[in-house]
Amino acid sequence: MAEDDRKDATRDAVGREIESAMNGQVSGLPPEQAEALREKIRLRVREEIERDLRARTASDRKDAAHLAKEARKKEKHGEEGETFIRFNRNFRFQHMVMFSSVILLIITGMPLKFPNFILSRFVINFWGGIQYSTIVHRIGAAMLIYFMIHHFLYTILTRDGRRDFWLLLPKLEDAKDIVHNIRHFLGKLPDKPRFGRFSYIEKFDYWAVYWGCIIMIGSGLFLWFETDVLRFLPKYALDVAHEMHSDEAMLATLAIVIWHFYNVHFNPDRFPGTLLWWHGRMSEHEMKEEHPLELEEIVARRAKESAEVSNG
Amino acid sequence: MRKFALTAVLVFLGGGAFLPGLAGDASASISLEKCTLCHGKPEFRKLLVNGQIRDLFVTGDSLAGSVHGKKGCTDCHFDVSEIPHREHPKRVTCTHCHFKGNHEGAPQSDNVLAYFDSAHGTAIARGNTKAPLCQDCHGSHTILKAKDPGSRVARGKVAETCGRCHMEVYAQFKGSIHGAALAKGIAEVPSCTGCHGEHKIYARNDPKSTIYSTHVSEQCSKCHASIKIMGKFGIETEQVATYKESFHGVANQFGSRTVANCSSCHGVHDIRPPADPLSMVNPKNVPKTCGKCHPGANPNFAIGKIHVDAKKKESGIIYWTATFFKWLTIGTMLALIVHIFLDMYGRTRRLRGER
Repeated sequence: MAEDDRKDATRDAVGREIESAMNGQVSGLPPEQAEALREKIRLRVREEIERDLRARTASDRKDAAHLAKEARKKEKHGEEGETFIRFNRNFRFQHMVMFSSVILLIITGMPLKFPNFILSRFVINFWGGIQYSTIVHRIGAAMLIYFMIHHFLYTILTRDGRRDFWLLLPKLEDAKDIVHNIRHFLGKLPDKPRFGRFSYIEKFDYWAVYWGCIIMIGSGLFLWFETDVLRFLPKYALDVAHEMHSDEAMLATLAIVIWHFYNVHFNPDRFPGTLLWWHGRMSEHEMKEEHPLELEEIVARRAKESAEVSNG
Repeated sequence: MRKFALTAVLVFLGGGAFLPGLAGDASASISLEKCTLCHGKPEFRKLLVNGQIRDLFVTGDSLAGSVHGKKGCTDCHFDVSEIPHREHPKRVTCTHCHFKGNHEGAPQSDNVLAYFDSAHGTAIARGNTKAPLCQDCHGSHTILKAKDPGSRVARGKVAETCGRCHMEVYAQFKGSIHGAALAKGIAEVPSCTGCHGEHKIYARNDPKSTIYSTHVSEQCSKCHASIKIMGKFGIETEQVATYKESFHGVANQFGSRTVANCSSCHGVHDIRPPADPLSMVNPKNVPKTCGKCHPGANPNFAIGKIHVDAKKKESGIIYWTATFFKWLTIGTMLALIVHIFLDMYGRTRRLRGER
């Protein structure tokens, strides 16, 4: 009911504004013609307003539903606290492009490194034979190259990208955190190190991907356009690229499957996995556990902002 | 009555003469002497339609010394039942005796069946009169055991026998390293049958063939992966392993037919050592050889070893790259795994209520 009243009130207000504006325009015309024109414009304007209101109420309804869901969740898991957006939509999209390309690359590439392994032949034949699995490998490669370009632009052009880049740079704190964490594991120190937005584990993952992408894309392009490369470089350069591609692939696969999966999915806090890569949200409780310094910063910023609002 | 009996006896005897099969062992009926009445004259020959002269001279010594030394003329030419024979005798059918389970004492093998499945046998079946039958390779009267060095199908002579029809290939083979070694009488060197098989010869695009594109490396590696054989000639055996590890080798093992196999680069019948200027893998010819598949190949293709083994120190920068990545991987993964185990150790301590 209240919503309908609000709609009517808005419509009337806008209608009055238009009426007064129109009166200035039609003053020179004969009365019947002026009335007909006014009626026409009124109809058109009313349609526009209706449409605008409909759109707004739809998005309002979506927001309201989301808030209600949040409220229910809060009631159920009170200890989790409010949720924070840890990774924005753009960042999640990049991560999804990257991991789908890496999965494609691993499953089409590893059989070539281990041709005698029992599953290799099956995997290659799954794509229809070597002549097609190499095409799939190149599709994966194109996706990874796209991800790399997208991430460069994201880092340069967006505010979040620039902020995250500076926060990801390794600092002396990280070395201290490693020592602190290991002492904590061994029971020498009671508390975990207090991490900011990115812990040393996440920084390692980030720069490992950087290193991996440069080596893999660089050497991979050599192997992709082998004849063009050999126009300028001797054959052993291609052999070096082949060796790098093969060895770095192994390192990257092991690091992802063992290290990254343990830290984000399989460790006892998260087992059997997290959907953070999909929704990008993190609860207050998790923030307190894993990124306390970032949480403090956010709380401090909010306090400052609300103080400014109330002052202004 | 007496007349009838006489007629019966005469008919019986006559039948015995005309049907040697019925008359049992007396069938060695047509004796050598009768055949050599005509065939024993050295000038006994026939002018064929195409102008060739066919020598028809056969004596009692023709079969002597051959594996069929104890056989008579009509044991093989069994369609000759009267002398002189009115019709041109048919080609000898070896399968008359040579099949598995025969009672003639002929060698027991399925080679006949293998032959009928082969490229030559199927060509015969399709009606190609130029395709060879048994006797075209093994010889007609002077058949010897294949192990006998004088045999037409002996290792040293079989190339010449095949070359009677495959003349261009034989000429190429004679110039190749295998052909030259064969001429020197080296026992290990492959002749035609060494790669193509003896009776199971198939066309090169037949998946059953030993020289089908995905079988070539296997075929070459029979000798070239053997240190025992290659050691005698000072040839390295690592070429097989390095090929199988290379992208060409891996794709070939996965069934790619477009990727290079041994013979794509080294040649098929004209394989020569790399130092030979005519060799396809001579550094000067490498651009042309690689250019068959990689259009625009240039001399850079020849800078650096082709059969490169990253595990050997002689490979230089490739070895060092491999070593760097090996230790990088071991070091990184060790550190990461230690970190994971420490993490789990710490969690266990805290779960147990320890500090």
